[in-house]
Amino acid sequence: MAGVNIDDVYKRYGSVQVMHGVSIDIEDGEFVVLVGPSGCGKSTLLRMLAGLEPISDGTIKIGEKVVNEVLPKDRDIAMVFQSYALYPHKTVAQNIGFPLKMAKRPKAEIDEKVGRAAEILDLTKYLDRYPKALSGGQRQRVAMGRAIVRDPKVFLFDEPLSNLDAKLRVSMRMEIKELHQRLKTTIVYVTHDQIEAMTMADKIVVMRDGRVEQIGAPLDLYDNPQNVFVAGFIGSPSMNFVKGRIDGANGTRQFVSEGGLVLPLPAQASVAVGQEVIYGIRPEHISIGEGGVAMDVVVIEPTGSETQVFARSGTDLIDAVVKDRIAARPGEKIGFHIDLSRVHLFDGKTQQRL
Amino acid sequence: MKRQRTWLYLLFWVVVSFLTLFPIYWLFVISVKPAVELFSTPEVILSSVYWKNYVDVINDETLRGYMMNSLVISTGNAVLVTVLGFLACYALSRFDLGGKESIFFWTITNRMAPPAVFLLPLFLLLTQVYKFGDFTLLDTKIGMILVYCTFNLPFAIWTLRPTIDGIPKELDEAAFVDGASAWTVITEIVLPLARPGLAVTLILTWVFAWNEYLLAATLTNFNARTLTTGLSEYVTTTGTEWGVMAAISMFTLVPALIVFSLVQRHIVAGLTFGAVKG
Repeated sequence: MAGVNIDDVYKRYGSVQVMHGVSIDIEDGEFVVLVGPSGCGKSTLLRMLAGLEPISDGTIKIGEKVVNEVLPKDRDIAMVFQSYALYPHKTVAQNIGFPLKMAKRPKAEIDEKVGRAAEILDLTKYLDRYPKALSGGQRQRVAMGRAIVRDPKVFLFDEPLSNLDAKLRVSMRMEIKELHQRLKTTIVYVTHDQIEAMTMADKIVVMRDGRVEQIGAPLDLYDNPQNVFVAGFIGSPSMNFVKGRIDGANGTRQFVSEGGLVLPLPAQASVAVGQEVIYGIRPEHISIGEGGVAMDVVVIEPTGSETQVFARSGTDLIDAVVKDRIAARPGEKIGFHIDLSRVHLFDGKTQQRL
Repeated sequence: MKRQRTWLYLLFWVVVSFLTLFPIYWLFVISVKPAVELFSTPEVILSSVYWKNYVDVINDETLRGYMMNSLVISTGNAVLVTVLGFLACYALSRFDLGGKESIFFWTITNRMAPPAVFLLPLFLLLTQVYKFGDFTLLDTKIGMILVYCTFNLPFAIWTLRPTIDGIPKELDEAAFVDGASAWTVITEIVLPLARPGLAVTLILTWVFAWNEYLLAATLTNFNARTLTTGLSEYVTTTGTEWGVMAAISMFTLVPALIVFSLVQRHIVAGLTFGAVKG
């Protein structure tokens, strides 16, 4: 087991720079999720960590060793690919045992370790099968078996669940987390799904356009997003953002949107009258009742356990998620009560947290 | 309705098979008749079999030498070309080589002209350029293997490229991460998965060299003379020995059939299915 240290790493393809000085510290045994939209550089970073992609500048350390020039085979890592990358001409047992065969381990040891990995992953029945005779979930488990069998310093997962259906994804998510709790090996996990990131990670790294936007524990990112991008990316449904400025006409400061919607401000908010801000509030931090901010109902989406209400005031559209069932119909007036302790204010220009 | 279609289908293949196989049967008929009977009324059903043409061919030491030359040259060429083609395609498929698509395209240019165009340059190469003291590559088996490479290697590269491209690069990467060296990745992962393509390439290049006449007739005299050129020796000023030629032709079919049957079972499609989710 070992920690990972990524220090000021750059990646250039010719004259195009795609990674701009990324630095991440990963503790020994930590489960770190790199998350971000497509093209943010998370997979490239993982491939650089694996040694499949050279880095243009900076250093990557695994444990105490700088691995910039070290071949993938000598980095003592294991990787699970998005496409599983199982060897189609090898049986499940041969696939799982391949890293041990490469390490020239004795046959008895290979058999024993493959057997144990198969037991952990519930694959014992399928050891003689070829990958084509397995379901998606089973293939995924074989890929994981191939990774755990060699007891590496670091596990790398590249969107391993994105090819599975929703139900299987939830159960595999749990299996991976359980595996981490059992093995306590450092994991670097790439996904574009923020729910996966929130539910699995000890630490989340949010990336955009080859830059780290914020690093922190899942709930820390949820509660204290550093900018509009992180605030919008973490949490589902996404945070509501309303553009506007601070108004102090009546002696009390309040937020007025470009469309004229007036929203209350927390008393301790460090904003000045006239300042351009982006007002952020998560749908789950709005409740519905008498009074409050008057909105026109646009759409109501009941899911059984909760109800999502989309409402409009002028040009501003805000959604709220509540536990209660809502009897209102589209077009009717409804009152939104905003939990002021949960309001996030961002600078209108820099989009950074105020 | 369905039954009628089955019959039509069957009839179609019977006709096609007849058209394909009848010349071979006719060749056999000619090979088992004495010369005097050849020009009498044609006989499709054999009434008697005359094996002397075959006995003559088998007893002819020169012909046996030609047969061996053909086998060595065709097999040597096919193996060399398939191995080199495979490695070239791996490089073209996996590495960022500058101008690799141009390299790929221009390799095939020597198949765009008739082989006769290359006769003189090849003759000069074999006699004047690749000369070590008195030794030249003209009329040597190694010379002919190399000559056929110039035509078969581009062909092999073009045939194998889609096969290698079709093997997901992630399999190589997974193997690298699993601790494999570049050589192990090629031999343990890519080679087994490329087997169908390799089998096709091996067969087609083998057949090309086995059947080739023009280059062999020009660039060999005796030592490396092949069976196809040997045939022409039976067309003489005193007449053509059709029976013996037919018997030799029957012999040329046998190794080809053996090679086909050995390699055919490797041509199974869909071997990469299940490697990566599509």
